[in-house]
Amino acid sequence: MTTFTRLRAPFSEDLIPLRDSFAQLLPILETDPSWYGSIYFERKASKTYSANLKQTQVLDQVTQGAVLRIYNGYTLFEQATDALELDALKALALKFSKRVQSSPVPEAAIRRTYHAPTWKDRLSVSLDAEITSQVPTGATAKTPVHFGIPFEQNPKTATTAETLENLKKTVEQCKTLAPGVGLSVSDLTYVMARQTFVEEESIFIDRETNISQNLFRISKVIILMSGAERAYTRVGGLGGLEAVHVSESDLKELLSELKALKTADKLHPGKYRVLFGPVVTGVLAHEAFGHSQEADTCARGRSKAWELHKSGEIVGNKHATILNNPAVFDNGGGGYAAWGSYYFDEEGWFAQEQVLLDRGVLKPPMTNLTSAIRLGVPRSANGKRESWANGVYTRQTNTYFSAGDKTLDELMVELDNGFVALHPAGGMEDPKGMGIQVGISFLQEVKDGKFTGRVFKGPAGGDIQMTGYTPDILNSIVAKSKIDAASKTPDQARHPYNDVGGCGKYHKEFVHAGCGGPYVLLDQVVLG
Amino acid sequence: MSKSNWTLDQLKNSLTKNSEVKAWIVSRENVHRRERYFMMDGAQLVTDQDRDVQQQLISARIFVKLSREGRHGEISKKLFPSLPLQEQIQAAIEAAQQTDHQAWDLPNEIPAQVPLRATADPKMAEDLEGVVGELTGRIERCVAAKRDTLFNSAELFLSNHDRELYLSTGLTHRSAQSRIYVEAAYSFSRKGANGQAESDEYLNTCWSVDLNNLPVEKLFDETSERAQHSLDVQKPTSGNYAVIVDSEVLTTLLNGYISQLTASHSYNALPFIKIGDEFIPSATGDLMTLTLDPSLEFGADSTAISEQGLLQSPLKLVERNRVVATMADKQYGDYLNMRANTTRGNVVVEPGTLGIDGLRKLAPQVIEILQFSGLFADPNSGTFSSEIRLAKLYDNVTGRVSYIKGGSLSGSIRENFKGARFSDQRVKRSHFSSNSVQGQGYYGPEFALLSNVSIVS
Repeated sequence: MTTFTRLRAPFSEDLIPLRDSFAQLLPILETDPSWYGSIYFERKASKTYSANLKQTQVLDQVTQGAVLRIYNGYTLFEQATDALELDALKALALKFSKRVQSSPVPEAAIRRTYHAPTWKDRLSVSLDAEITSQVPTGATAKTPVHFGIPFEQNPKTATTAETLENLKKTVEQCKTLAPGVGLSVSDLTYVMARQTFVEEESIFIDRETNISQNLFRISKVIILMSGAERAYTRVGGLGGLEAVHVSESDLKELLSELKALKTADKLHPGKYRVLFGPVVTGVLAHEAFGHSQEADTCARGRSKAWELHKSGEIVGNKHATILNNPAVFDNGGGGYAAWGSYYFDEEGWFAQEQVLLDRGVLKPPMTNLTSAIRLGVPRSANGKRESWANGVYTRQTNTYFSAGDKTLDELMVELDNGFVALHPAGGMEDPKGMGIQVGISFLQEVKDGKFTGRVFKGPAGGDIQMTGYTPDILNSIVAKSKIDAASKTPDQARHPYNDVGGCGKYHKEFVHAGCGGPYVLLDQVVLG
Repeated sequence: MSKSNWTLDQLKNSLTKNSEVKAWIVSRENVHRRERYFMMDGAQLVTDQDRDVQQQLISARIFVKLSREGRHGEISKKLFPSLPLQEQIQAAIEAAQQTDHQAWDLPNEIPAQVPLRATADPKMAEDLEGVVGELTGRIERCVAAKRDTLFNSAELFLSNHDRELYLSTGLTHRSAQSRIYVEAAYSFSRKGANGQAESDEYLNTCWSVDLNNLPVEKLFDETSERAQHSLDVQKPTSGNYAVIVDSEVLTTLLNGYISQLTASHSYNALPFIKIGDEFIPSATGDLMTLTLDPSLEFGADSTAISEQGLLQSPLKLVERNRVVATMADKQYGDYLNMRANTTRGNVVVEPGTLGIDGLRKLAPQVIEILQFSGLFADPNSGTFSSEIRLAKLYDNVTGRVSYIKGGSLSGSIRENFKGARFSDQRVKRSHFSSNSVQGQGYYGPEFALLSNVSIVS
């Protein structure tokens, strides 16, 4: 058996001069002493390898840029650039500062100033040991503090040839295993295995802090098609190659799903008892409270949750507890960090677990800098952007239901007659109207607590949509599973497994988001 | 670090001189973006965020020789001016040599004359800051208009994209594109029957390439008007309905579904509709005529030249529901022994004969979708589904018109477009994703009536 030593992703030496030059820009960004200036830098170096039945392919991309930021008490101004020579940056910062100075202030606008937190402030709150253990004792505003994601098998040392060979083997393995589940090789009209590794490095500097992080983001996707029918699996997280292990039994399960989809029935639309699997419950949590608990949406007057938080109205039953947590550094006990995790967000705020909904009662929302200031609520590490070239919004990280006390076997007995939904197919929020939409690829029928082997797709043969009024859905939760739903012993993992997911807020800004949680049993939900 | 230490000419020369390299495509894009987020602070309209972004993207698609007969290697790589050139090229070539593709060749012919396409708004190209100011003023006036609804927020995104394309065959092409995005959200509140306050909102978005096709005032008026009706809603009764969808939905559905008319689908054994087959099986309604048109003025995917250096001209794909062409780029054309043709362009659909009022009367009950919550469409199966965010129910038996919200709609292009009827007025639609050069463009009927669509609530 191979044993690995856990290492941490280092701060790249070639970024040291750049980090030093950013510090020189701060005085320009705080030309007016009442301004809050900061700099965010990001470099994402990605390699995507893929193999299908006919070819292998490599995509190699690097993008890097810096965002100069001035918050003048009214507006957050940003100047983003990928021209990173010191002289060019200084000239741009001066021009930017003049732009902010010449921007008119609306007559009746309220000035809300902001002061950067010191290290003492930052460390006075409860932070995960994975964060605090990397902060040197006595860190000051000038101390460069680096956070590196731990990994076992270094994805940077895997060669292109090795990676492509492994993916080709996976494609071949699917063909070899197909007859074992009742599929002929010719049934597999399209097979694709893809692995992506991204080294995500960022630096955040303000007058009190100089921090950096390096995250190794790795994922693997396998897609099987037979005509228009499609089954897929994806694994991944933040860490090393250990995060993308796909076993032979995983492939057999995937092939079995494809076979079942070829003979799937069409669902008769209606209200059903349904057991949502972990990833589908992640989508439910994300779309429920979730999106309407994003403070920028609240500050824009677009979220009902803000009103309900203030009124204290109950919006779900005792099982309805939802958390957002960018500090999931051990994904379901898997030894690597969850997909939506990081040490600090893109506005330099440290990751912390946050309860958004506590047994049906709404708590304060997730925030980015400006929305926290506008609403007067505590900041959280949810200021995220699609890339350095995109703007910041309040975005979710890993969003999930708290764990329950049931095993999967117990939930199947409680389900009795209904469906199990394991594979999500998107979702959508309705923050003011409180509607909700959760897409499901297909449903597996259960009778007398046992799988019948029948699979159902939507009424028109596509995805199934669960829709309804969010509080109604959250009041229809019957029970939840433990994190380790297969075991009767108490959970060892602190957080549930979060799958590889994404979120496209306001229809146009894409960010990574973890998606997971326990199994959740719901009654009388609309499926169509 | 970070100093630009090589030029585009050096990149092209290095690739040309390298004996391992068979061919290459190099592109450079300079992007300038201006963005503003607007919201209310008490009674005052304020700018929450104001952004300016300048970005340069250099990409190379490099084809390398392999010893295996009929195969070559290739890689798509983004290069960085601040990193040493030779290091980047060498790493790319080494990685490309590990890949394995059926060989194909870039087109030998260099177009003598490249047509001019209207792809960038001249005013934006000349003075982006001036346009930001002008549109901000229009938004301020829209927000200041007296309404029964409450303005919540708006966003304004503008960008100029200047592109250069170079092929190892000697082709050089320069183009420009502008993109505009505006969104507005209004809410409406009132006291409900039980005395409790109730409220809902409506969010509307619009993409455009040029200022003349950007109906800012109409967008704000329509958003406010629909927000005002957002509380007068009922859930739909479950059943199968005649459903009217608008051009935004048609843009999404058709731009996805025509991937089944591509040579790449044929080669990769993905769902493919071949020449001579029906586009919609057994269609009986308005038989669709569909053209891929890269020449559409200010279309989201208007272009003169493809990434592979092929002239792009209008290509009729479907004539009265019969597939008459397969889209093939040079790569898949070579693989399938087909002549390469047009693969870029806007979906242009011939109009129908009925006005929107006529469509609303074609069934005893017609549901007109004003907005889906999140339309999810699978281009391979042609299926689509969504929650209904807001719709109107036309009950032609009682003459009553009511608003609907909620419920799941589930459809299939192959089934529910069979009896489709298209409206007689055509509109232009655009949609862009931030990381894609290619937009989704549409010029066609503003509305389509679909039949027998499943809705459950």
